[in-house]
Amino acid sequence: MELGTHHELPPDKKKIHAKAIRLEWLTIAYLISAVFFIYLTLGSSQAMKTAWFEDMLSLIPPIAFLVAARYRHRPVSEKFPYGFHRAVSIAYLCAALALFSMGGFLLFDAIMKLIAFEHPSIGVVQLFGHQIWLGWLMLLALLYSAIPAAIIGRMKLPLARSLHDKVLFGDATMNKADWLTAGAAMVGVLGIGVGLWWADAVAAAFISLDILHDGLKNLKAVVADLMDSRPTTVDDSAADPLPARIETELEKLRWVRAAAARLREEGHVFNGEVFVVPTSDDALTEKLTAAQRALNELDWRVGDVVVVPIPDLSSLRWRPEAAERP
Amino acid sequence: MRWNRLVVPLVICVTFTTTACDIPRDPEGTLDDVTGGTMRVGVTANEPWVVLAGTEPRGVEVEIVKLFAEELDADIEWFEHSEEGLAHAIEMRTVDLAIGGFTSTNMWSSKVTWTHPYLTTQIVVAVPSDHPVDEDITGLEVAVEKGTGAAGVLEKTDAEVVLVDDVAQVDGPRAIESYLVDDLDLDDTGVRLEESDQVMGVPHGENAWLTKLERFLLTHTETIDEILETEDM
Repeated sequence: MELGTHHELPPDKKKIHAKAIRLEWLTIAYLISAVFFIYLTLGSSQAMKTAWFEDMLSLIPPIAFLVAARYRHRPVSEKFPYGFHRAVSIAYLCAALALFSMGGFLLFDAIMKLIAFEHPSIGVVQLFGHQIWLGWLMLLALLYSAIPAAIIGRMKLPLARSLHDKVLFGDATMNKADWLTAGAAMVGVLGIGVGLWWADAVAAAFISLDILHDGLKNLKAVVADLMDSRPTTVDDSAADPLPARIETELEKLRWVRAAAARLREEGHVFNGEVFVVPTSDDALTEKLTAAQRALNELDWRVGDVVVVPIPDLSSLRWRPEAAERP
Repeated sequence: MRWNRLVVPLVICVTFTTTACDIPRDPEGTLDDVTGGTMRVGVTANEPWVVLAGTEPRGVEVEIVKLFAEELDADIEWFEHSEEGLAHAIEMRTVDLAIGGFTSTNMWSSKVTWTHPYLTTQIVVAVPSDHPVDEDITGLEVAVEKGTGAAGVLEKTDAEVVLVDDVAQVDGPRAIESYLVDDLDLDDTGVRLEESDQVMGVPHGENAWLTKLERFLLTHTETIDEILETEDM
């Protein structure tokens, strides 16, 4: 039995992971520049302020990914016998909480501005000797915060799927949807331009709702993750097929009468137990060790999975169908 | 249906470029009301920007506003207020413009939208032209108007502070507004005690009105300098 050795990615995944790291660094550099440009043109538009916060919050997932990339593959130690895979989930929880609370605050802010009938002012700036309405520059800054983000997001999506990385996936979908945020802010600024003072706060409210929604979605996903819910696909839309595959693979062995996997996700990898009902006790230790090794060969995401012999599956209370099995 | 693909963006473009000329617009129509009508100007006393001694307001900003009204073919109605009263009047849109030597660091931003600074003034340490000019003012006897913020700033320097009632009446080195240096035949030592960016106030969100005023101020910097030279004494 080998436990605590699965802290490395297979070679082909390593390449993809390295590419993801480069893309995340690029994302951070780009987001900082977008945050800077929006800051320069911020004015008193609530929609601009909200889009600005959104861009700053978008910095958290790539940072979380990069921090996790450093820690999660650390070898196990005496103090941390399960390794450091969970580092990702903790980073993810912080990011989701930040999104959720900031979204709530910005929504409140926008609604208060609507209630107070606050009329946003956007004046003139002098640029290279020309006087330009700041609103036009705001629109340019927003365009800059939308288009490259959508492209980078699209590039990260397949990497996230291939790496089964939920932080990367969440980050990519957020980037991809960034044009919506920027578009809403642009409508707000143009609204101010044509004399609709409320357009700005309404656009801001929409953007904050989007941030709030992102936060809630991620919060739900990461809490489920930390609660050791059953593994899901990278977009959290369905149960991951791997546990079922493990069960069928083991049931193919002649000495296994039935198998039931109870796995949890820790970062990229799935850890946990597979319970098997052996037909006989002959050479059981060798058989179990061989089975465990076979599981590690089955898929790179199989981490520390222990194969445990039990007399029958009916005592596994989480399986509704367990009692009906022979 | 290929027509639609061409026509729709074309219509959007044309509408956009034709309306772009009068963007931004005022939600409450201040610029339209003032143009060819009456400009309601709230004033608060602050020499030399607004002087409320005679029957009509005088001062640097009063003269600037008169020029602006001329450009808009508008009559001016003056309203005298305290600073707080003025901020409230702007907030309620009962006046269109607030002047009174306001600077960009003032406290009324929650009620008033301030223009881009149209002029920067400094309080400098200046010496008579027969006096050696040195940026090191350690031990130098510098006169400063008592009870002013500048006096407090000067106290923190190494200069010997001499408190006086009127710096124009003394001889020798003194702390003085930068635009007075030439008039009083002084030399600037290069020591700056304070710097202020002069601004004017308009109601929140009246962006056509705000940009009209800002464009006027930015294109008339030379005229404003001239007004300052003639009005300050």
